Amino acid sequence: MSTSGQDRPFADGFMDDYFAEADEHMVAVRRSLLALEGALGSTLPSSALEDLFRSFHSLKGISAMVELHEAERLAHHMESCLRAVRQGRLTLTSASFEVLVDAVRLLEHVIATRRASIPPPSIDAMVEQLETLGRSGDEQSHAAVASQVQTATPPAPTAHRRRWRVTFVPSPYLVERGIKIDSVRARLMQIGNVQSVIPKVLPGGGISFEFDLQTNDEAQLARWHDDGLTYEPLEGLGPASAAVDEADTAAIQERPLTDLTLAGASNVVRVDLARLDDLMRLVGDMVVTRSRLEDTLRRVEAHVPFQDWRSLQDHNARLERNLRDLREAVMRVRLVPVGEIFRRMPFVVRDLARDNGKRVRLELTGQSTEIDKFLVERMMDPVLHLVRNAISHGIEAPEARIAAGKPAEGTIRLSATTAGETVILELGDDGSGIDVASVMQRAKSLGLVTPEEGIDSRVLLDIICASGFSTRDEADRASGRGVGMAVVRDTVEGLGGILTVESRPGHGTTFRMTLPLTLAITDAIIAHIGDQIFAVPQSAVREVVEVDASLLHAFENNELMPYRGGTLPMVRLSDMFSMPSAARARHHAIVVGTGPAALGLIVDRIAGQREVVVKTITDPLIRVDGVSGATELGDGRVVLILDIGALSRTRRQHARVIAGVSA
Amino acid sequence: MSETSVAVPESTPTATQTYILFGVAGTTYAIKSQQVLHIEMIEHVTPVPNAPAFVEGVVFSRGQVVPVINLRARFGFERGAITLRSRLLVVQHETRRVGLLADESREFIRISDTAIRPPQEAIGGLSGNYLEGVASLGARIVLVLNVRELVETVPTALS
Repeated sequence: MSTSGQDRPFADGFMDDYFAEADEHMVAVRRSLLALEGALGSTLPSSALEDLFRSFHSLKGISAMVELHEAERLAHHMESCLRAVRQGRLTLTSASFEVLVDAVRLLEHVIATRRASIPPPSIDAMVEQLETLGRSGDEQSHAAVASQVQTATPPAPTAHRRRWRVTFVPSPYLVERGIKIDSVRARLMQIGNVQSVIPKVLPGGGISFEFDLQTNDEAQLARWHDDGLTYEPLEGLGPASAAVDEADTAAIQERPLTDLTLAGASNVVRVDLARLDDLMRLVGDMVVTRSRLEDTLRRVEAHVPFQDWRSLQDHNARLERNLRDLREAVMRVRLVPVGEIFRRMPFVVRDLARDNGKRVRLELTGQSTEIDKFLVERMMDPVLHLVRNAISHGIEAPEARIAAGKPAEGTIRLSATTAGETVILELGDDGSGIDVASVMQRAKSLGLVTPEEGIDSRVLLDIICASGFSTRDEADRASGRGVGMAVVRDTVEGLGGILTVESRPGHGTTFRMTLPLTLAITDAIIAHIGDQIFAVPQSAVREVVEVDASLLHAFENNELMPYRGGTLPMVRLSDMFSMPSAARARHHAIVVGTGPAALGLIVDRIAGQREVVVKTITDPLIRVDGVSGATELGDGRVVLILDIGALSRTRRQHARVIAGVSA
Repeated sequence: MSETSVAVPESTPTATQTYILFGVAGTTYAIKSQQVLHIEMIEHVTPVPNAPAFVEGVVFSRGQVVPVINLRARFGFERGAITLRSRLLVVQHETRRVGLLADESREFIRISDTAIRPPQEAIGGLSGNYLEGVASLGARIVLVLNVRELVETVPTALS
């Protein structure tokens, strides 16, 4: 956060992110609208409908986060209309389509006004139009929509707060006690809204910081007097930013800052992520070159005198270590504390708990756990969605909790830990757990599962992640549109991660996201199938076992193998990929997943393990299920990297289809 | 290759454009040279399971993962073995880079816009779907291909 020229609420620190994200969604919205417009009067393309629905859902979420309630309400009502369309309750005519287009224009306008920091236009007339539209589809749903509007109105303004000018003069003495500009800012944020921070140069060359603070906790301010904070009321003064003296701020920048800590600055360099990507790519190229070198070395071994050979080997080994170190160093540059995801959550939890009439405490652990910057950006939405779900579906109302013998206040735990080459994000609540019976009932009515099918945690996850699934009959502000969980899983698996869920009735639900620490280079198991080579990310592999073909039991459409006192379902990758594979007595199998999700993938043989440089596959022609990327092993040939999550899922769906057919 | 195409002015009065010529199953095809990034010899293509049938697989081209379309398969001919004469034409279409596997490719020529006519309705065969025009160069007939149609995911003949 910058230390000057801030004249907006704290949430505005995220506004740049918001605008960028909103722009992306608006582009998608326009694209979907165009597609729908062309199909008015005939069958609407369901993919465009689905995309539009998701876009509005996301816009609603991110707008709520930055408290742009006009945008949030508009998106919410458009989402409701689309829901009616999707469920066949509302037919899109050219007239009703025009309403949607107008609403989108207004939404754009609302976002633009926030960008320009001017008051937003009135949206009431448009909301009414959208409601009428939704109502024409279904009288009954109207009541629910109207009641949501009530909950969606902006929160009461922070009334009895007063504005104060708080001045902090740092000193070496205070620094020794751990009191610095950052900790002071954090303190002030806890008791109120920091509108701006202005550094001032004092006569004599010292420095001070003036906070423009809104708070009702004067007593606390008084207690901090000994910590170098003085304060005075700021009522009747103009906006704090107007008071900034241009000359003063300029002077600050020019003044050599001998003590960086005191000045609140830090010796941090901002680097464009693209440059780091370039660096990582170069390291990747070097890793490939070195493995070529090693191949060559092996070939010339017989022709080189032993002494020379030994020293070549030494150099090569040292080069490998250097490269590993270099790779880790570059990787570490890309790592940022996962707290970037966490820090928005308290606001979200506070707002949603209030809207839902629930009492929720948020516990954050492992905020300093580091994770690739790229992953942080991608994981923001999924985590946000899980938090919303936990509040609206997981945590019960206070009375229900007391009746169940639990404290009235529910707890949501968000934690991050590292485990080897992976980072595990966990989101748990101590709520009611997933209602398996109602999930199954809903899944059956949607035709997602067959009536006879049993349920375990994987099936449960497959169901709640199916697009269009929601156990809520009516959508609410926080969640329950049935698109979010699909997005969560797509994101996690798209990043090479794994999503699992554990739910105990009455005790709560925990979602676990296991993600690779970084994306560019990873350790992989090299497997042969027929004459083709594949790489399997080490992070997904539990162990490699040898398979004796005579021990495989064909069981209906499955093959099972005795494994650790139980059985392990096996899948032949050659079958899944329709590839020829020589019949052989002994195979290797890669065991992935744990517990009921464990699965053995049969390959011809495992050739070893090595470090590979991951290249993404983006072209639609080659983006197939079960393949997450490509790499090369030094000979210039492409080796495909398998996507274990997708493979396991395909196999489960396949098994279910077969079960459904035979049932 | 690219140097030559850069030297061609975009809109001269007697507009000519440079084209890369290549052969597939005995027929000569052409693609505007400005759409071709480079041409490579090709040794090994890694098959991609469950990809469309006309996709031969993937290769690395200048460090990027590039899908390879087998033009013989795309045009409905028997697949042939990759030989020393086989060439990979890496084309750019919007943000995508796609490799086109041809039997051979050796020529780089200018064709005047007036020499290219729209394809006759009567031209059948799968490649007819991907034609932008037909050029007559003396006695030779050259089929000018539309890259966009060629690299679209679903073959138009099957949709």
